[in-house]
Amino acid sequence: MIEEQYYDSDLHKASPPSSTSCYLQSTQSVLDLATTSNNKMVAEPRSAITTHRSVEVLASKLRRRQIVGSRATALETLLVLRQVISKARFSNLEQLVAIIRDAGRRLVDAQPKEHSVGNTVRKVLHHIREEVHAATRGNEPAKPTSFSISKFVLQGQPRKQVVLQKSEVKGTLRENDPDDPDSFARGLKPVLMEAIQDVLDELETVYDNISKNAKDHIHSDEIVLTLGVSKTVEQFLKSAAHVRNYSVIVAETAPSYDGRQMAESLSSFGISTFLVPDSSIFALMSRVNKVILGAHVILANGGMFAISGSLMAATAARAHSTPVVVCAGQFKVTPLWNLYHEYGALDFGNPSDVLGFENGDLVDKVDVVNPYYDYVQPELIVAYITNDGDHPPSSIYRLLKETYDDEDNDL
Amino acid sequence: MASKSASAGKEKLIDGEEEVLQAVILADSFNKRFRPLTTQKPRCLLPICNAPLLDWTFESLALAGVQEVFVICRSHAELVKEAIKESKWSKPGSGMKIVPIMTAKETFSPGDAMRDIYTRGLVTSDFVLVMGDLVSNIRIDEVVRVHKERRKTNNNAIMTMVVKETGARHRTRPRGESSVFVLDPETSECLHYEHVQGYPRTKVVNIPREILEAHPEVDIRNDLLDCSIDVCSVEVPSLFQDNFDYLDIRRDFVHGILTSDILLKNIYCYIAEEGYAARVQDTHSYDSISKDILSRWTFPLVPDDNHPGGHIYEHTRGNRYIAKDNTVVLARTCNIGTNTLIGSSTKVSENVTLIASVIGQNCTIGASSTINNSYVFEDTVIGANCTVEKSIIGAGVQIKDGSHVQKGSLIADGVIIGPNARLEPFERLSTRRKEADIESDDDDDSDVDEVEANQDSVDKTTLGPDTNAIVWPRGPPDEEDDEEGPENYRNQRFMRLGDNASDLDVSDEDEDSSSEEETSTEDEDDFHDRESLSELSDVSIHVPAISGMMADDEFRTEVTQSLERAFAEGHSVDNAAVELKTLRMASNVPLTRVKEAVVTAIVEKITLVDGDAATQRKEISSVIGRWGELINKIGGVDPVETVSILQAHCAASPRMPLFGQILAALYQEDIVEEDDIRLWHALPDSKGQDRKEGVETENFQKCWMIGSHMIQQFDAQESETESEESSEEEAEPPRKTGAPSVNPKSKDTEGIDGGESESPSEGVSASETSSTHPSTNTSEDEDDSEATDE
Repeated sequence: MIEEQYYDSDLHKASPPSSTSCYLQSTQSVLDLATTSNNKMVAEPRSAITTHRSVEVLASKLRRRQIVGSRATALETLLVLRQVISKARFSNLEQLVAIIRDAGRRLVDAQPKEHSVGNTVRKVLHHIREEVHAATRGNEPAKPTSFSISKFVLQGQPRKQVVLQKSEVKGTLRENDPDDPDSFARGLKPVLMEAIQDVLDELETVYDNISKNAKDHIHSDEIVLTLGVSKTVEQFLKSAAHVRNYSVIVAETAPSYDGRQMAESLSSFGISTFLVPDSSIFALMSRVNKVILGAHVILANGGMFAISGSLMAATAARAHSTPVVVCAGQFKVTPLWNLYHEYGALDFGNPSDVLGFENGDLVDKVDVVNPYYDYVQPELIVAYITNDGDHPPSSIYRLLKETYDDEDNDL
Repeated sequence: MASKSASAGKEKLIDGEEEVLQAVILADSFNKRFRPLTTQKPRCLLPICNAPLLDWTFESLALAGVQEVFVICRSHAELVKEAIKESKWSKPGSGMKIVPIMTAKETFSPGDAMRDIYTRGLVTSDFVLVMGDLVSNIRIDEVVRVHKERRKTNNNAIMTMVVKETGARHRTRPRGESSVFVLDPETSECLHYEHVQGYPRTKVVNIPREILEAHPEVDIRNDLLDCSIDVCSVEVPSLFQDNFDYLDIRRDFVHGILTSDILLKNIYCYIAEEGYAARVQDTHSYDSISKDILSRWTFPLVPDDNHPGGHIYEHTRGNRYIAKDNTVVLARTCNIGTNTLIGSSTKVSENVTLIASVIGQNCTIGASSTINNSYVFEDTVIGANCTVEKSIIGAGVQIKDGSHVQKGSLIADGVIIGPNARLEPFERLSTRRKEADIESDDDDDSDVDEVEANQDSVDKTTLGPDTNAIVWPRGPPDEEDDEEGPENYRNQRFMRLGDNASDLDVSDEDEDSSSEEETSTEDEDDFHDRESLSELSDVSIHVPAISGMMADDEFRTEVTQSLERAFAEGHSVDNAAVELKTLRMASNVPLTRVKEAVVTAIVEKITLVDGDAATQRKEISSVIGRWGELINKIGGVDPVETVSILQAHCAASPRMPLFGQILAALYQEDIVEEDDIRLWHALPDSKGQDRKEGVETENFQKCWMIGSHMIQQFDAQESETESEESSEEEAEPPRKTGAPSVNPKSKDTEGIDGGESESPSEGVSASETSSTHPSTNTSEDEDDSEATDE
């Protein structure tokens, strides 16, 4: 909150000598820059520093866990990227991509456990490339995005061909114009802002789009089991409740006991809700028709990280052949797949949730392990319900290919 | 550039509604518990989990959204300043403006530092006061919010202390010095604070009776860990300035404020439900806080997440943290135990065992060595076949092959020992200072000099042939230290790394001859405690009876002297009152005593004038007019008591005849009101009942009679005033006292005099003739005031 102010004030301070104001006449930018002076020599280091700062502020917030939650971090990242782009000076696509990647890498390094940061950066890069190619190649027909097994080999480097075609620039935009190095940027910025707006819109409508088809997944008189508190799952269940009459069992989800909050919210909405201790999940599973979980991150192999307890619930469901469905926004899909090798990826939290600090004698003698997430293998999951449609775990890789560019997998 | 833009940002913030949240870090420990590690750098720059303590403190404050930080540095101030300049906090985007303040070398206590803050006028609003060795993830902004909320309703709530619930035997809870808090469970106001010392062990805590009277429910808590995070309001530094003897923030300031009945300030506690906060105040807590960090109690301030030093560690099973930059070399056969941290570029050779230890950057650990519960700072080389146990090894130390470092050892930067050194437990080693250092170092490092001087007598054969170390004194100091405070040797043992001080506990139970004296005082204390509880005496003043008597006598003479001085030198009433208050605090006597003394002195000040009643009257009103006010200025206004005291004094003094006139004069000066005289009159004691027969009692009763007459006059006056009020008001010119009540007053005087004439006493009859008219009286008043002005 306070840092936000710092950040704003800084932007205003830096604005007068900035050379970016000219683009902003045509864009509906957040920055309302009144004065213009085209002092480029000053503008270059200034803009570098301010970019650095806005990124740095978000990075330290992420590091301190002042912003948590996939969607919140994705939104914040997007806003910072918008600042970065609106201030950036570039004369070709590579420079722009490098600037965004640089900012993205800083943010990801600050908090590698919030994967939606990296995902947002990748998505923005993907959109930018698409827009640039559309702009530079005029009315050339869009590349078919349909995938088939026969094209599998080619799909390995889907963008390679495009890169080759880049030399034959058409349309109004020219890269590396020697006469006016800013012309490329100037022409492109409105398009870029639109691209970012698209991503922003997608994030803002994510819950609605996911819960759009809720009634197809939940049928009348079913019993659904869920875990923890997830805004996505909550909206999904509430949306289904408009047309269906069903019951929800919510596990308490120790040690955070988020399940209580979830149960309260659902029951106040008029859904018949049961709050049960985690230990009774297995016992109740035989009565459950469907397990609906939220996700923290969906990995490329179709597995996912979700709040601790999810693995137990999913395994219990497997034993009873109960389908496990995961509701998650598409921004949670990440091209990483080997995270489960990393012990630390489970995000070990504060032992105080499990063992109170006031238990003085025990603290010295007991090592408390309090992971925040569980890794749930793809075999245990039947389907992912995303704002981009429903997918089995086995086709997550395809979703990835459509959403991100391969070259961005490693920022 | 950075600071400039930050300050610009700050100005902008000030313009806005949001106030800048300020913090003050006392970056000096004001004690020597980490010696010899702190001979060459300050404690706040010692690394804990491979990041300087100061960085942990900054991180804690940044988490709370603090925008401006003042770092008060004393020892090695240049180093601190340099470190701040180079740290990430000076970069733009850190969101904090850090101002290092170099304080004088004469700052010997936190109290001095607070006075320095006051003199410099650093803080402008409520601020956070922390020590430079804090590790915390508590949401301090929440505490600040609560504090500000409370200030809105109670302006006297000057401070909020953050405490954390721990068990009585928590590892992070300091055994050497802890505290007992007496809290109001509802408002969490801290009603009383008592420092608890490990040795000599504090066994008795005195709680003032008033607290139990005023609060139906109190919590007396000995399980709270004092986090040393205080949210203070602006007047806190000025209170330190006023009370120049306050040294320690807790023992002197908090205790002093809470036991003072003239300051009337409140201090509150904030019992942190969530979060962690602790101070690295000694080597023992260094150990426990390192362990707390490694076992993630400080989350998200943990090595793999938000490491204040900016290092990146990989967290693996069993809380093992290994630097993530692929520079750590771990031999295939080495054994890394749980709760271990290994810094980057460190090499761990074959068959090494590391257990619950922290290894800095660029360290090398030779084959088959064992490091157990120890802390090794950067660039240190430990040879093959060494054992290091429960010790802190400084930076750049070389421990050569086959050496054994036993528990509790502290080895300062740059020491070389071995090969085959055998250190005794709790050995402290450092290097000789460089000549240049000694010259530049104007710090009074007398103890370092002493250590260096005494080296010839120390046997250094066990340290190995290549050593460059000097040995710090082992065991207890030769002369039994008579240091009372928590810095005595035995109490220090509670604060030492690896020392369980079990023998101390034992010796505490069956006191040997050396500490017999102490047992007796403790018993005495117990005795007094019981005594004061059973008696109806003032419990808060816990002074042994004899010394109390002494103080009383002394006090009386002191007061008389100081008043004489005030009379002679014509001090202002305020100054005299301040002097008396101080005297009262110093000799610890109840307020009544002071009042008695003051009334006595004033009455005796009136010179007896024989015969001339008018002159006598003038004399009285001149003295009362000048000094009467003092009676109410010494603290606590109780006019009824004043009259009683006056009565008692007059009864036993040759100035008995003047009682009526003095009382009238007091009334005139608004020091006593009509109602007060009535109340006094109604008191059974005032009549002089139950008193022994004698002249005094007679006089006593005479005084009461005079009072009766006065009251009769009041009654008569009242009806008169009611009828005449309107006309009188118009007729009277505006007077100094300017109230309509003046009028009846002057008439009272008249009436009283008349009344007195009825009494048989000859002294009173002397004043009989001097019945004055209101106007004369007024003019006299004016004369008096002129006289005083001169």
